[in-house]
Amino acid sequence: MIFPVIVPVSLSDCGSTQMALVLRRYSPLLLIVIVWEAVTRGGLIDELFLPMFSDVVIAFWEILQEDLLYHVGRSVARGFTALACAIVFGASIGVLMAWYKPVRILVKPVIQCFYPMPKSALIPLAIIWIGLGDASKITLIFIGCLLPVVVSAFNAARGVDEVLIWSARSMGATEGEVLREIVVPAALPEILHGVRVALALSFILMVSSELIIANDGIGFLIGFLGEGGDFKGMFACAITIASIGFCADRLYLYVSGRILSWQE
Amino acid sequence: MSISIDAVTHEYRPPRGRPVLALDRISLEIADREFLALLGPSGCGKSTLLYLLGGFLPLAGGAITVGGKAVTAPGPDRGVVFQHFALFPWKTVRENVLYGLGKKRLEKDERLRIAQEHIDLVHLTGFEDAFPSQLSGGMKQRVAIARTLAIDPDVLLMDEPFGALDAQTRIIMQEELLAIWGRSPKTVVFVTHDVREAVLLADRVAVMTARPGRIKEIVETKFDRSELNELSKTPEFVEQVDYIWNLVREEALAADAARAANPG
Amino acid sequence: MAGAQETVPNDRKPSSMRAIGGRLFETVGPYSVIVGIIVLWEASAQWGDIDPFLLPAFSTVMSRFFADLFSGKMLMNAGLTLWRALTAFGIAGLLGVTLGILMARTVPVRWFFDPIVSIGLPAPKIALLPIFMLWFGLFDAAKIMMVAFSASFQIIATTWAATRAVEKELIWSARSLGATDRQLLWQVILPAALPQILTGLQIALPICMIVVLVTEMVMGGEGLGSAMLRASRFADSPGVFSGILSIGIAGFLVIKSLEIVRRRLLSWHQEVAQDRATV
Repeated sequence: MIFPVIVPVSLSDCGSTQMALVLRRYSPLLLIVIVWEAVTRGGLIDELFLPMFSDVVIAFWEILQEDLLYHVGRSVARGFTALACAIVFGASIGVLMAWYKPVRILVKPVIQCFYPMPKSALIPLAIIWIGLGDASKITLIFIGCLLPVVVSAFNAARGVDEVLIWSARSMGATEGEVLREIVVPAALPEILHGVRVALALSFILMVSSELIIANDGIGFLIGFLGEGGDFKGMFACAITIASIGFCADRLYLYVSGRILSWQE
Repeated sequence: MSISIDAVTHEYRPPRGRPVLALDRISLEIADREFLALLGPSGCGKSTLLYLLGGFLPLAGGAITVGGKAVTAPGPDRGVVFQHFALFPWKTVRENVLYGLGKKRLEKDERLRIAQEHIDLVHLTGFEDAFPSQLSGGMKQRVAIARTLAIDPDVLLMDEPFGALDAQTRIIMQEELLAIWGRSPKTVVFVTHDVREAVLLADRVAVMTARPGRIKEIVETKFDRSELNELSKTPEFVEQVDYIWNLVREEALAADAARAANPG
Repeated sequence: MAGAQETVPNDRKPSSMRAIGGRLFETVGPYSVIVGIIVLWEASAQWGDIDPFLLPAFSTVMSRFFADLFSGKMLMNAGLTLWRALTAFGIAGLLGVTLGILMARTVPVRWFFDPIVSIGLPAPKIALLPIFMLWFGLFDAAKIMMVAFSASFQIIATTWAATRAVEKELIWSARSLGATDRQLLWQVILPAALPQILTGLQIALPICMIVVLVTEMVMGGEGLGSAMLRASRFADSPGVFSGILSIGIAGFLVIKSLEIVRRRLLSWHQEVAQDRATV
C-alpha cells in the first residue's frame, strides 16, 4: 500500500533537531486543526455541531478574561489536595501492608472488596454524607485515588528484591531502618508509576464530580456553558481541561524522571 | 573466626505443595581464616547452607556457631556477597560502601576514609559518584565486595559471586579476590558450581550431594598460589579438578535422575 | 519475598502450635475482617447514636437490596448499565485493537495517531461529555459513544506497544519458514502480543464502568448510576447503599468474567501454567 503523505522532510531551518522532531511528531494536530477550520468555515458541518476553531479560540480568550482562571483554580486546588493526601496516605498504607502481616490481613480484604467498585459510584454517597460542597468532591477524589496508590505501593514493597533486604540486615540495619532506608527507596519506581495512574484518575473524578455536583470548577463551567447554548465556550473549556490533564501528566513524568535519575 | 555446622537440617516450603528436605543433617567444620569452597550440582542446597550461615533462614534442626556464638540472625560479623550484586541502585558507589559503615559508631571523617580506602582497594577510584546502573557487571561486584569488606566482618560469605560475570571478567575477579584475601585473611565460605574456580581459590573444597544436601567429600586443595596463571597449568591442579569434577558429576547425574522421576 | 523479619529464630521449631495458629489466622482472617466490619456496622446503626439517614443499618440496606432485586427494578437498571458499558467496551476493543495494530505496522497511521493517542491518554476525556451530548443526543448513543471514546485510548496505546514489542526473532523465524504477511499477523504477532493486549483490555474495562456511571448521573434516565443519583437527591440513603452494593457486584462479575476469558485464551502461556497471581 503506497500512501502519498506530505510530511516536512527537512526542518533544518528550525534550528535544533530536537525541536524539529517534536514538531514533526505533533504535526498531525496541525493538520486536524486546518481540516477543522476548513470544514466548518466551508459549511460542510453545521456550526451548531462544531464551531469554527477560530471561534473557539476567541471564546477561550474571552472566558480567560472573565472567570476561567477562577474555575480552573478551584478545580486544580481540589484535585491537588485530594491527590496529595491520597499519595501520602496510600503509599504509607501500601508499604505497611507489605511489611507487617497484621496490617495486611486487616486491610487487604477491604481493598479487594473495593477494587472492582467503579469509583464514580461513590458520588451519590458523598452527596449524602458530606453534602454538595468542596469537601465531598475532595473526599471523593481522595478515596478514588487511594486505591491505585495503595495497590502499587503494596506490590512494589512486596516485590523488593530479597537480597537487598538481606544485605542491609547483614550490615547491621534494624528492621525499622530496613523499612525506611531500603524498602521505601526500592519500591519508589513502582509507587511513582501508580501515582501517575492516580493523577489521571484525579482529573476524571474532578471533572465528573463537577459535572454532577455543579457549583464551581471547570466541570461546572462546561456544563453551564453547554446548557446556556454557548457551545464555543463549552468547546474551549473542554479542550482547556483536557490540555491541563495532559500537561500535568507530562510534568509528572519529567519530575519523576528526575527523582529516579539513578535508573538507566 | 571458626565456623561449626553441626547436623543442620533445613526444609524448603514452597507456596504450594509439600515441604522438601533441602539439607539433611549436614555437618562441617571450618577453621579460622580458611578459604572453603562449597561445590555441588544445582539444587543441592549449597546456597541454602550459605543463607543459614548468614542467618537469613531458620534452622529446622542442628546448630550453627560462628566463633563460638550461635547464629540466630544476620549481622555485621558475617558479610555477604551475592551473585547479582545486591547494590542499592538509588545510591552512588560511595553511598553504597558507606551504608554498612553508617551502622557502626564512627566519626563521619573516619567513615569516609574507610569507604575511600575500600573503593581504592577494588580499583574503582574515580567512580565514587557513579550509580550502579552506569557500571559494568564486574564493577558492580567490586562495589559489592568493597561494601562488605568495609565493615570488616570476621567471616565472608560469597554466593556464586562471579556467576553473573562474563568469562574474562570472572578470571580477573578471581585473581583480585585472592589478592585482597591474601592481604587481610578472613574465613571465607565460597559457593560455586564451577569446579575449576573452587580448586583455584580454596584451601579446601567441600563437595555436596544432590538434594537433600549432605557433605559427600572434602578435598584438600592447598597449592602455592603465588602465580595463579601457572598454577592452573600444573598437573597436580588438573588432577584435582578432574577428581573433584567426577565427584560432582556423579551427584549431578543423580539429581537429573531424581528430577526425571519426580517432575514438577 | 519481602516482609518484616518473618524468619523464625533458630531455637524455635516450625511445626508448633504457633505455626498452626498462624495458618488458621491467615485463611480465616480476611473473611472475619469483613464479617467484623458488618457486625460493627449493624451494631452502631442499631444501638449507636448515628443518624439513620447517614448510615442505615446493614439489615435495612440488605432488605432494600433484595426488595429491589426481586421487584425486577434492579435487574432492569443493571441490565441497562451493563448493556451500555459492554457495548462500548466491545466497540472500543474492536476499534482500539485494530488501530493499535495498524499503528505498529504502518507508518502513516502511526504518524497521524501518535500525538492524538499520546495527548488523549492522560487527558480527562469525560470533560467532552457535553460535546458528545450535543453530537449524539440525550439517550443511549451519547452514553455509549462517550464510554467507548474514554476507553479506547488505553486499548490503542497498549495494543500498539504490545504489537511493537513482539520480538524480532519470532518474526524473523516465521519469515524464514515462509510465512506470508497475513499468516505472520494472525499466527505469530497476534498470539505473541495477546497477553499485553488483554492486559490493556482489562484496564479499559473498569474505565468503562466508571465512565458509564458518570454519563448516567449527568444525563439521567434509567440505569444504576442515575438511579443512585436520584436516590441521593431524594434523601433515600438505603437506596444509595443498595445501589453501591449492586454496582459493586456487577463490577466484580464483569471483571472476573474477563479474567476467566484471559485464562482461557492464554492457557498456553506460562503465566497461567505457573499460576502467578497479582493483587
